[in-house]
Amino acid sequence: MMRLVLLFLLGVLLMGCSGKKVKPWEKENLAQDIMQYGGLHPEVKKFEAHVYFSKEASRGGSGVGGGGCGCN
Amino acid sequence: MIKKTIYALCFSTISLMALDTGDIIPQNIKTQLNLDSNKTYVIDFFASWCKSCKKELPLISKVHIEQTVEVIGVNVDKKKEDGEAFVQKYNVPFRVIYDTNKEFIGVFDPIGFPALYYVRNGKIVKIIMGAVDNIDEHISKDIKEIK
Repeated sequence: MMRLVLLFLLGVLLMGCSGKKVKPWEKENLAQDIMQYGGLHPEVKKFEAHVYFSKEASRGGSGVGGGGCGCN
Repeated sequence: MIKKTIYALCFSTISLMALDTGDIIPQNIKTQLNLDSNKTYVIDFFASWCKSCKKELPLISKVHIEQTVEVIGVNVDKKKEDGEAFVQKYNVPFRVIYDTNKEFIGVFDPIGFPALYYVRNGKIVKIIMGAVDNIDEHISKDIKEIK
């Protein structure tokens, strides 16, 4: 039984669920303008958000700040 | 046997520790950076795609020009050409090392950019992570305290 459990755990470990984090210096592609919320024309998304909060009376909860470099 | 394999897998995921305040810089890195043992340096890790680095770079250049401290830049762009263009655009006056192989950044392992390491006698005495307003004033103050 113990052996089966260990084999199952080994299988889980080998399933490719990597615990490797993306390092700050590996975020070059994430920092590109195209990767920001709304792509190259975020004003379109901003307009959509404006319509949304006007109709739904709620705002926020979309997008993140920062350039992707891991800095403040 | 199975137990040993599981332990080995678990421990292999633990990465090496990043350099922190009080740590000694490895000899091979010191040699490659050409660090003088009796001098104080500021090692600035930056990239062309880092917006905060663009903001800080002119102020760090100013500190170097005013000879407050010698700055050594480490550019971590994937392509050396991108780094060179960036350095040229901002007229960086200090020595810049292009770390395309991630040799230096892998050892220092900062949590973000820009990352400033104050090094004295081969030892890290202070670290500043991320963008800081008026960084030139901070560096001048820190250098006075360190010396």
